[in-house]
Amino acid sequence: MELFNSESKKIISDPINVNNPISLQVLGICSALAVTIRLDQAIIMTLAVIFVLCSSNVILSVIRNYIPTRVRIVIMLSVIASLVSVVDELLKAYLYDMSKQLSVFVGLIITNCIIMGRAEAFALKNGPSKAFLDGLGNGLGYGLIIIVVSFFRELFGAGTITLPDGGAGYVLWSIPESWYAAGYENIGLLVLSPGAFIILGLVIWVQREFAGVEEDA
Amino acid sequence: MHSNNYTLGFVFIVTLVLGTMLSFTKDSVKVLQDQNLKADVQKTILRSLNFDESLLLTNESIEQTFKNSIDAKCVNIEGEIVECNIEEVDIEKNVETLPIYIRMDNDKVQGIALPIAGKGLWSTIFGYIALNPDTDSVLGIQFYKHGETPGLGGEVEKKWFTDNFINHPMKKSNGQIEFVPKKIRDENGKIISITVIKGGVDYSDSNKSAIHQVDGISGATVTADGVTDFLLEDLLRYEKTLDKIRDYGTI
Repeated sequence: MELFNSESKKIISDPINVNNPISLQVLGICSALAVTIRLDQAIIMTLAVIFVLCSSNVILSVIRNYIPTRVRIVIMLSVIASLVSVVDELLKAYLYDMSKQLSVFVGLIITNCIIMGRAEAFALKNGPSKAFLDGLGNGLGYGLIIIVVSFFRELFGAGTITLPDGGAGYVLWSIPESWYAAGYENIGLLVLSPGAFIILGLVIWVQREFAGVEEDA
Repeated sequence: MHSNNYTLGFVFIVTLVLGTMLSFTKDSVKVLQDQNLKADVQKTILRSLNFDESLLLTNESIEQTFKNSIDAKCVNIEGEIVECNIEEVDIEKNVETLPIYIRMDNDKVQGIALPIAGKGLWSTIFGYIALNPDTDSVLGIQFYKHGETPGLGGEVEKKWFTDNFINHPMKKSNGQIEFVPKKIRDENGKIISITVIKGGVDYSDSNKSAIHQVDGISGATVTADGVTDFLLEDLLRYEKTLDKIRDYGTI
């Protein structure tokens, strides 16, 4: 199979746009709400999810013809859980501050519906290379949304834009003091979970409009 | 449909492979993780003692600062110095040897950090409280390990909560407000610690204990009560040591 024929392109681009796991299937919402307070957390979380999603898709796809149907959910879960534990251990070793900030949400990647969903719906029915592309596409689709949400939440909620730097984060830009002196105020609501709901709702609206999707009446 | 034997065999092999992968990963990064943990504890101690954040950026600078500025030793409940391996003292259970970290500057005590630990709602919370040389006013408090719910009890480690311990709004005679640290001793010098109260502290003149109280965390009353309890219990263990430092300026 050619790597970048139109079918593979569709496997990658669909979940980023017209079949986005968050904004159209509304999966993986819990972590999308929890780790979008700061941009750097969202970026690291995206990388972790892409890693887990691609690896689990490929591994499960390779062994798909040998998995006994009766225990397939258990097998899927153990593969995903092991990969998540590996990511968690690596973060603790190489990005300690980040792993403290993400705390339980790295472990909760296990229960991210996107990963189980893609394993069941795609990896068990397709070959490894397609499964990899599907994982990459869905990971990017997930990442696109949480990065956009976290960008707005951090900018308007805390007044900064922070990139990951291996430590406590590199502040790329922050709202100058003179703005605050002139009466500008951060929107505290955006730092709290209801703020995430509001931003995510707006993003879903814009995204669906952009992708031209209409809900069945 | 696969046979039962095939299914069992398959599950067994998958478990074996995944288990090996996990233990291999853990084994290869254990050293790094331990270094991070150690640096994190030292960072907590230094932060509670109000060291500049720029000294706490990398594991190396943390270790260096700790080695240069901190006098770490153990005392017993009577306030006498005892031999110990300070990194291996079990803060939660041990009552005979108590670690104490003193920030020295030109042979003078600048601050004293004491480990605190105790039960919150789900987990044991670990941290350090630092006192000024008067052994009364709080220099800082930091928590570094806990398993409380993020967003609720987990807020104990956040700056807004720990800042409560060093920002007591005191009305000056000219009506202006000055921020002073909270105090752990009453007027007679007895250690009564600091209480995390439910809701916000009542700062009206009628509340004489406001200087010994900090705002609680909404939705985390059990965690807050836990902090109140172990803070008092742990400070009392150091009572004789703290009296000595207050009266003589050294242990």
